Amino acid sequence: MAMTQRPVRDPVTAQRAQGSFGDSFRSALGPLLFMGPAGFLVVAFFFIPVVIIIAFSLTDMSSSTGFQNWAWVQLENYRKILVHPSSGPILWNTIKYVVLTLSLFNVGMGLVIALLSTHVPRRTGFLFRALWLLPRLTPSVVYVMVWKYIAADAPYGILNQHLLGPLGVKATNWLPAQPWAFVIASNGFIGASFGMIIFTSAIESIPRDYMIAALVDGCSLWQRIRYVILPMIRWPLLFVTTYQTLSLFTSFEQILLLTDGQFGTEVWSLWAYHRALNNYWGNFQWGFGSALAAVLVVIGILMAIVYMRYFRFNELVQEPRIEAL
Amino acid sequence: MKLKLENLTKRWGAVYGARDVNIEVKDGEFVALLGPSGCGKTTTLLMVAGIYKPTAGVIRFGERVMNRVPPKNRNVGMVFQSYALYPHMTVFENLVFPMKLKRVPAKERRERAQQVAEMMGIGHLMDRKPGQLSGGQQQRVALGRALTKQPELLLFDEPLSNLDARLRLSMRAEIKRLQVNLGITSIYVTHDQVEAMTMADRIAVMRDGLLEAYCPPDELYDRPATLFVAGFVGNPPMNFLDVEVTQANGELRARCLGLDVAVPAERGARAAGKPKVTLGIRPEDLSIVLGEPGGEADTVVAGEVYVVEPLGRDDLIDVQIGQSHVNVLVNPGLGLRLGDPVRLKFNMEKAQFFDPETEQSLLWR
Amino acid sequence: MDDRMGVGSRWRAVLPLLVMAVLTVPILMGYVWIIISTFSQRTYGLVPVDSAGRVGGLTLENWAFLWEDPNIWKVTLNSFTLAVGLTIGVVLVSALAGYALSRISFPGRKAFLGTTLILHAFPSVTLLISIYFVLRWITRVPILGRGIPVIGGFGYDTVGGVILVMLALQLPLGVWLMKGFFDNISWDMERAALIDGCTRLRVWWQIIMPQIKPGIAALAIFSFISGWNEFLIPYTYITDQEKSTIAAYLRSLMSDTAPVNYSQIAAVGLFQLIPVMIFFIFTQEYLLSIFAGGSKGGT
Ligand SMILES: Nc1ncnc2c1ncn2[C@@H]1O[C@H](COP(=O)(O)OP(=O)(O)OP(=O)(O)O)[C@@H](O)[C@H]1O
Ligand SMILES: [Mg+2]
Repeated sequence: MAMTQRPVRDPVTAQRAQGSFGDSFRSALGPLLFMGPAGFLVVAFFFIPVVIIIAFSLTDMSSSTGFQNWAWVQLENYRKILVHPSSGPILWNTIKYVVLTLSLFNVGMGLVIALLSTHVPRRTGFLFRALWLLPRLTPSVVYVMVWKYIAADAPYGILNQHLLGPLGVKATNWLPAQPWAFVIASNGFIGASFGMIIFTSAIESIPRDYMIAALVDGCSLWQRIRYVILPMIRWPLLFVTTYQTLSLFTSFEQILLLTDGQFGTEVWSLWAYHRALNNYWGNFQWGFGSALAAVLVVIGILMAIVYMRYFRFNELVQEPRIEAL
Repeated sequence: MKLKLENLTKRWGAVYGARDVNIEVKDGEFVALLGPSGCGKTTTLLMVAGIYKPTAGVIRFGERVMNRVPPKNRNVGMVFQSYALYPHMTVFENLVFPMKLKRVPAKERRERAQQVAEMMGIGHLMDRKPGQLSGGQQQRVALGRALTKQPELLLFDEPLSNLDARLRLSMRAEIKRLQVNLGITSIYVTHDQVEAMTMADRIAVMRDGLLEAYCPPDELYDRPATLFVAGFVGNPPMNFLDVEVTQANGELRARCLGLDVAVPAERGARAAGKPKVTLGIRPEDLSIVLGEPGGEADTVVAGEVYVVEPLGRDDLIDVQIGQSHVNVLVNPGLGLRLGDPVRLKFNMEKAQFFDPETEQSLLWR
Repeated sequence: MDDRMGVGSRWRAVLPLLVMAVLTVPILMGYVWIIISTFSQRTYGLVPVDSAGRVGGLTLENWAFLWEDPNIWKVTLNSFTLAVGLTIGVVLVSALAGYALSRISFPGRKAFLGTTLILHAFPSVTLLISIYFVLRWITRVPILGRGIPVIGGFGYDTVGGVILVMLALQLPLGVWLMKGFFDNISWDMERAALIDGCTRLRVWWQIIMPQIKPGIAALAIFSFISGWNEFLIPYTYITDQEKSTIAAYLRSLMSDTAPVNYSQIAAVGLFQLIPVMIFFIFTQEYLLSIFAGGSKGGT
């Protein structure tokens, strides 16, 4: 029993148990070592450029003013965006493009391929996934060229020559006829592979026991997907949805190569690119383009925050179980 | 090496992992940390190892305050329930890894690893990866890895709970033997009281982060300081009955419905006069009285057999007395069956009394 | 998976195959076309034709760049340097940060993790102008700016600079992927290593990194592909023809004043695809284990 009574607290040792400056310095050093390189890159290539972009967006800088003769114009560029006749339609285009591509392909098709290819023999599954990865591996110039040849007018186009021709549909160049179908499909066939890979590995790493338990309980395939697989891949779903939404918002390379924004397919990021870096008039409106980009940044940040709330990001981050450094 | 924990506390927000824990471990002593799941055993151990930082309190190795010393400078060895071997290294590499980090010369490393491996009976497994070993072999490697660095303090976190019963028995003896031979101060976390009782010099019982008792095993068993300790230590567990202890013409009696037994004065003194106390009595301190009733001592009580559980060597019998139930260990030869009337003799020399409010013993505190 | 035999179960086995086959038709069609066209003068749909439109006209002419244009090997090497440098950089930086974010408690941890994901919302290409200024500043740093062998340095008009920019753009993916893998590593193993005498840095390198090889491989593949195929960033920040990449070479075929030879572009594209395809086939096991990383998780 001797030990159970509590000794009086010794002020010296109690104080020593508290932190000192040296300790807090040492405990900051560890994370700094690990986070340093990433932190530097984030600051140098995201934060500073965004600050510069915002600064530019408050100027009338363009290739005609150069980097010398520009002037501050406050929010003039943003006002221009608001009243610009193209703003509305382009914003609508962007939403249409992101929502349709994301739901049909990047998440939807990705999930479908992942589910199907994990329910067939391994080698077959691998073959299909390899095929679906091809668009991502192919240089975009060539990849888009293929889509152009699929859509092209007779006698070059694959659609006209081998599918619609035999069905008696009148040949035409389908790209101007159905620009959105091609924009969405060409982006989607690349986008789907990202989700496909992540979902496949997530499904494969679901413990066998769960799957067997579901089989024993007599679940149909659909029930197994609904009640076992989907709940268990919540985290990858959050990640793919968020990441791909943001990717789609800011990407435009395929559209640039496919239609260059013609046939009513200009989206916001392409608009910014056209205005700031590449247009027919040769007048690069850096200020106005920067304002367009800044708008995109704001929309993207808002979307990311909404997603993180919705998927309860905080609960998905565990606390470390080691406190020593 | 001596170890001393003073008011050691760990808190995460509102959750207490450990609370004002005071333990002193003598040089070469083997101390068991015993308690139910979630009581803070691992938390305490990890603070000693330096993995968790104490919220308050002091850890001393010898006289030195260790609170801010990083784990690598504490020279402790630790064995985990999950073994925690490095799966990409062979057994040999696992064994020499801690020595490499201590910059032990290569030749000595090899010798020590070989020596420990022989001692642990894993010498023939040196070139295998942990994934190719059985659980028992992995645990031996883990133990070996903790030993090769020649630590001043050994920490065990439920090292045997993943092993089967037979293996557990033999490993238990082996660890104890090793510890005695090497004389390394050790703390051994377990929720298995038999393990604690058989291996430890002293046992610290924890509950909800608090230290309930800290004393040698026999004292823990014979003189439990709290109701919790009394109920937790011992298998089958102690019987508890709510009784009233009355005093009439110099004689103490414990009473409740269907029960009225005499209490030795030195046992019941502090319980006397209380309308409600908890009487604790171990199953082995109850015995069946054979023969016809009448003319016996006033520590015999009548009851009825309620449940019979054959345990092999003994039968465990649940006897109903009034509204209460007690467990008794009896000889299977008696052939008792459900509903049989029996008479129980209470060995009141071994009875314990507790205050049901404070849960403290009315005998030892 | 189902033991009950009969029409129902046979259908259940064939149906996924059938659905997948139908969904994959456009891809198959496209790549069959690429292959055919690289060996043809022209194509009508998937049919090779000669200049007069008759079936036939097979040729090796489109592949002649391999033996006629020495530049192709130079740009291939440049692309390779870029891709390898990027891969090493992304893996190291992401693994360092992912480890800290998953396993070390420090103020601002959650905030940084959230920020990393949001960073992806920053339109890389519209940041082109402003990143140009940052690279210009880096150029002025002595030695680091432009005095390093092989990659040149980290400033403007160096391979290192391009790597740095692309590395930053890959960070959101890399950090999150790595963090997911680190989350699955057993805490006890790491604790054991610390008690055995490791520092956190050594634990990371000697104990944890070997456990997440699948994750490293997966990230390496993603990075290699983007480094190998990237056009815009090297094109924008490298002016020196000597450092041009294969993607830029491909694009130059289109902007030449001569009429564009699509079959040759397809051939160069196919050539550019081959190393990636080989890389992929050898590492696909890893690619699929993005979420299966590490040993048992938890405690
Ligand atoms: N890192 C942590 N963060 C928050 N709470 C914790 C943490 N670690 C432990 N706890 C809490 O502290 C209490 C004590 O946990 P501890 O792991 O020490 O129990 P234990 O006695 O080792 O139990 P077991 O026998 O199950 O291993 C528990 O309530 C637990 O939930
Ligand atoms: Mg524990």
